[in-house]
Amino acid sequence: MFDTMANNFTDESGPMAYPFKMVSQEITEHMLGWNVPAEHQDMVHDHWRSYPDVSKYWHYCLALIYTMLFVLSISGNGIVVWIFSTSKSLRSASNMFIVNLALFDLVMMVEMPYLIANSFTGRMLGWQTGCNLYAAIGSVSGIGAAITNAVIAFDRYKTISCPIDGRINKVQALIMITFTWFWTVPFTVMPYFQIWGKFVPEGFLTTCSFDFFTDDQDTKVFVACIFTWSYVIPMTLICFFYSKLFSAVRLHEKMLQEQAKKMNVKSLASNKEDASKSVEIRIAKVAFTIFFLFVCAWTPYAIVAMIGAFGDRSLLTPIATMIPAVCAKSVSCIDPWVYAINHPRYRAELEKRLPWMGVREPAPETQSTNASTATSQSQPAEA
Amino acid sequence: MLDYLSLVFVVAVKVFKKTTPNGKVTVYLGKRDFIDHVDYCDPVDGVVVVDTEYLKGRKVYSQLVTTYRYGREEDEVMGVKFTKEMVIGTEQVVPMVNNKMELTPVQEKLLKKLGPNAYPFTFNFPEMSPSSVTLQASDEDQGKPMGVDYCVRTYVAESEDQKNHKRSSVTLAIKKLQHAPASRGRRLPSSLVSKGFTFSNGKISLEVTLDKEIYYHGEKVAANIIVSNNSRKSVRNIRCMVVQHVEITMINSQFSRHVASLESREGCPVTPGASLSKTFYLVPLARSNKDIRGVALDGHLKEDDVNLASSTLVTDGKCPADAIGIVVSYSVRVKLNCGTLGGELVTDVPFKLLHPAEGSNERQRFNAMKKMQSIERHRYENSLYTNEEEDNIVFEDFARLRMNEPE
Repeated sequence: MFDTMANNFTDESGPMAYPFKMVSQEITEHMLGWNVPAEHQDMVHDHWRSYPDVSKYWHYCLALIYTMLFVLSISGNGIVVWIFSTSKSLRSASNMFIVNLALFDLVMMVEMPYLIANSFTGRMLGWQTGCNLYAAIGSVSGIGAAITNAVIAFDRYKTISCPIDGRINKVQALIMITFTWFWTVPFTVMPYFQIWGKFVPEGFLTTCSFDFFTDDQDTKVFVACIFTWSYVIPMTLICFFYSKLFSAVRLHEKMLQEQAKKMNVKSLASNKEDASKSVEIRIAKVAFTIFFLFVCAWTPYAIVAMIGAFGDRSLLTPIATMIPAVCAKSVSCIDPWVYAINHPRYRAELEKRLPWMGVREPAPETQSTNASTATSQSQPAEA
Repeated sequence: MLDYLSLVFVVAVKVFKKTTPNGKVTVYLGKRDFIDHVDYCDPVDGVVVVDTEYLKGRKVYSQLVTTYRYGREEDEVMGVKFTKEMVIGTEQVVPMVNNKMELTPVQEKLLKKLGPNAYPFTFNFPEMSPSSVTLQASDEDQGKPMGVDYCVRTYVAESEDQKNHKRSSVTLAIKKLQHAPASRGRRLPSSLVSKGFTFSNGKISLEVTLDKEIYYHGEKVAANIIVSNNSRKSVRNIRCMVVQHVEITMINSQFSRHVASLESREGCPVTPGASLSKTFYLVPLARSNKDIRGVALDGHLKEDDVNLASSTLVTDGKCPADAIGIVVSYSVRVKLNCGTLGGELVTDVPFKLLHPAEGSNERQRFNAMKKMQSIERHRYENSLYTNEEEDNIVFEDFARLRMNEPE
């Protein structure tokens, strides 16, 4: 009886089960890029087709990471732009650069909801146009943020090494900010219109970036150029200016020590708490942090691009290629904390406006204690 | 602001005093300007009056502190501080360590008047210490102005190194200034330069002579200029200016500012073969340079005594390059414009700008002028404060100031 039932069962369900089985088999064997329709197939490089499709959980995971970054970025950079542009005490040329950096980071943030939407559909929305837009946003913000870092380094070097006459005025600052935006143009516009290089989907095929896979001389030269333009040049400038700055500070310290010696002075400190910690070490720490963040942000991308163009491509699995994108985006969220939170006046302003954030900035030493309040006193005439 | 009040008591000796926020310690100073006579410097002499019961075994210390400020506070990024504070002298005032201390006349008078709880203290400026100089801030600059300043800080503590408490410490700002030597010297600074041209023969020569080597603040600088043109070019116009050179030794940077200038076409063009002799008068004044950022001024504590920084003097036998802090010097610069192709012929003649020496005739004249200015100001300010009773003014104002101080 069982046998017949079983037979019946198989007989009945047999014809039905077969297509199901076929479908499920097909899903497991889907390759990356299977859901791209024929007319857009040329977007996807053959390299990706050799990998199985990424599970939707990976997509959701990425979407989750991006959601968190989105919230962090919009709050951090948003507050920076808001406070720096609305408070009078923070309106200086140097701070314009910090706002500029926050703006670039906010531009990068625009990518994030786009990616989240892509992750849920499992493909690039808008095909080539969408891909171009996404990559252009990434390119503007990435290259812009990198060069702004270099400009900030330059500005700091100028302010610290010649604090009296070397400072950059607002007009110069505006020119330099315009320059940072122009710096992003060539490697955004050329691939966008496919004049040189192009934007293609990469990794999970839900994000886009410039093409480093096409196996021709043109692409290789392009990759080498963009690598120099947006990574090597800013990095060199950052190293150069911070090391110049560091030696300027050392020189100043040395000269002050010498002057103090001439006056037989023992203690030499800007205030008592600082005495234990030398200025050089403090500067070196901050400069190193900034340099390190830059390296964290862009080195993964640079490595992936260089491997793609010149190295062993089998290393570039879809997941491996998503790491650089996440790195670059996380740094855009950390930037405001590094640049702005280190700023005493910004912290003071933050404490005033958003007391719930728990920022405790010790009030700057009040002026009145040092101001002269000497008064006169009459003395008896015989005095 | 309070100083003009002292003019009410014209014959009285002026004494400066300041009390700690908690009212237990008061510091008296006979003056706030200490003159560096190059070979010796006025000592900082003062008296501290303290409530001995309040001390409870603690001690009162005084320090002479100089502060270098070579950058704006708002530019302090990355943990850099543009302020350096140097304690150039510390003394335990209460209880007295050195009973045989030599007292200055002001200290003797004050001790006599202030009774047994008064203790004297004296500081000597180190030989090399720089003069007080303030660099003029622009309107948008916030915070304290850059420069070199001095103060006397008095605090109550268990030991010298202990962190002092704000309520029991008090700081009086003072100045260290340099005055001209008694005689101005006979030397007339001058300079003679000439310029040839690449494509034509002949030279233009320029001789500039000043009528003095040392000028006092507010005096006219007369520059006698002789141009003789033996070239084929002609001199289009003449510019003459007083340049203030400021060297900030602590950061190894220098800059200059034009504190007075004059451009003239009178007698121009000086055609080939012609010559011109002319005297230019320039008055370098702080007043006429109020809007120029970075102009060095003699360290100033209040608005009324602003004048351009005095030239830095060094002891004979010392190199001017050894001077520290902010080093100020002046020169008259004359520029001849020899046309677009001819370029410029420039020469600098150095001179010194100083306060007249104490006791000299010039000093008396200078003081009389100052006094007139301040009486006028006094009259004006008094008209704003007519309601206050004269006898109480000093103390009321002082109390108000104390309330403003942080607790």
